[in-house]
Amino acid sequence: MVALLPLLDAILQHLTLVFTSLAIGISLATPLAILSVFYKRVSYVVLTIINMAQSIPSFALVAIIVPLVGIGFVPGIVAIVLGSIVPIVKNMYVGLAKTDIALIDTGKGMGLTDLQIVRYVRLPLAYPAIFAGLKFSAVIANGIAVLTAIIGSGGLGRVIFEGLASFNINKTLSGAIPAILIALSLDMIFSIAEKKLKSKSVY
Amino acid sequence: MAAILDTIISVWTTHQITLRTIQHLQMFSIALAISIIIGVALAILVYSNPRLANVWFNVLNIIETIPELALFIFLLPILGLGEKPTIVACILYSILPIMRNAYTGLAHVSNEYIEIAKAIGLTKNEILLKIRLPMALPLISSGIRVAVVYIMGIVTLGGLIAAGGLGVPLQAGIYRYDIPAIIIAALWVGTLGVIFDFIAWVIESRLARRFNPW
Repeated sequence: MVALLPLLDAILQHLTLVFTSLAIGISLATPLAILSVFYKRVSYVVLTIINMAQSIPSFALVAIIVPLVGIGFVPGIVAIVLGSIVPIVKNMYVGLAKTDIALIDTGKGMGLTDLQIVRYVRLPLAYPAIFAGLKFSAVIANGIAVLTAIIGSGGLGRVIFEGLASFNINKTLSGAIPAILIALSLDMIFSIAEKKLKSKSVY
Repeated sequence: MAAILDTIISVWTTHQITLRTIQHLQMFSIALAISIIIGVALAILVYSNPRLANVWFNVLNIIETIPELALFIFLLPILGLGEKPTIVACILYSILPIMRNAYTGLAHVSNEYIEIAKAIGLTKNEILLKIRLPMALPLISSGIRVAVVYIMGIVTLGGLIAAGGLGVPLQAGIYRYDIPAIIIAALWVGTLGVIFDFIAWVIESRLARRFNPW
C-alpha cells in the first residue's frame, strides 16, 4: 500500500510547482508580448528566441538548470517557467498583434492612448487566444513538473522516481495517476474558460 | 581554451556521447517513420468522415495532455524497460499533430480542383493520390515538424527508463553532480533539437512553395 498522507503532500507540492510557474510565466510573458506588439525589433528577437527554445528537449532544459541555478524547489520553478512560457508569449503576441485595424483606429479616434488601446481593445479581443496558450502551457508545465523531481523539486515526480528506483509499480502508479488527472483537469478548466470567452468576444 | 577542449574530449569519451547520439538518432528515426506512416494512414481512413475523425482527435488529445513520464509508467508493465516503451510513447504523442494536419490538408482541398478531377474522369482513389495528397503535403510536413520536436524530447527522456540515447549522460551528470557532463550533454542535445527543427522547417517551406496553390 502507499501511504496516503505523503501522497497528498506530494500532490499539493506538485500543484504549487505548476501554478507558481504559471503565475510567473504570465507575469513575464505579458510585458514581453506587449513590447513585441509595439516594437518590430523586439518582436523579431523574442520570436526567434522563442521558436528556438521550443525545439530544445525539456530534459536538456532541466539538466542545464543544475549548473546555472542549482538543485531544489526554486531551480525546479525556473526550469518549468523556461519550458512552459513559450506558448503563453506566442499566443499573447499573436492575439494582441492581430487585432482588426479598424477597431484600433476607432479607439484612436476616441482619443485613447496606445496603452489604453492595449487594455480596452486589444486585450479583451485576445482573450481566447491567450487562454488557448495558457492551456497548452499548463499541460507542458505539469509534464515538466514531474520531470523536475530529478533535480529535487519534489512533487509527484519524486514519488514516480522513487518507485522506479525500487521497482515498486504501485508507488510509480500512485505518482503517475494523480499527475494524469491533474493534466486532464487543467486541460478541461482552460478549455471551458476559452469557450466562455470566445462566446463573449465580438467575432 | 585548451583546458576547455580537454574537458569536452574527456566528457565525450567517458560518457560515450558518439554511441549515445547514434542510439538517440536510431530511436528518433524509427519513431518518426512509424508515426508518419500511422498518422497519414489514419488521416486517409477518416478524411471523408468528419465525425469519426473527431472521435480520433478527442482520444489522441487526451493522450497528448498526459505527462511523458506518466505515460512511460503505464507502458512499462506491458513493454518492459528500454527502447520499446520509449518509441511507443513517441509514436503515441506524435500521431496527433501529423494526423490532424494530414486530415485538414486532405479534407479541405478546394472544391474546384475536385470538380475538375471528377470531370476528367478520375476515380475517388485517383483524386486522393493525385490531387488531395500532393496538395496536403505542405500541411503534413508542418505536422511532421511538430512531431520532430516532440520525438526529440521524448527520446531524451527515454534515458530515464534505460533506453540509452542522450538522456543517459544527462541523467548521469545530474546524479553525480558532474557539471561539465551536464553542460556538454545538454548543449549537444539542445543543438541537435534546434538543427532537426531547422531541417524540418526547410523541408516544410520548400514543399509549401512547390505545392501551395494560394
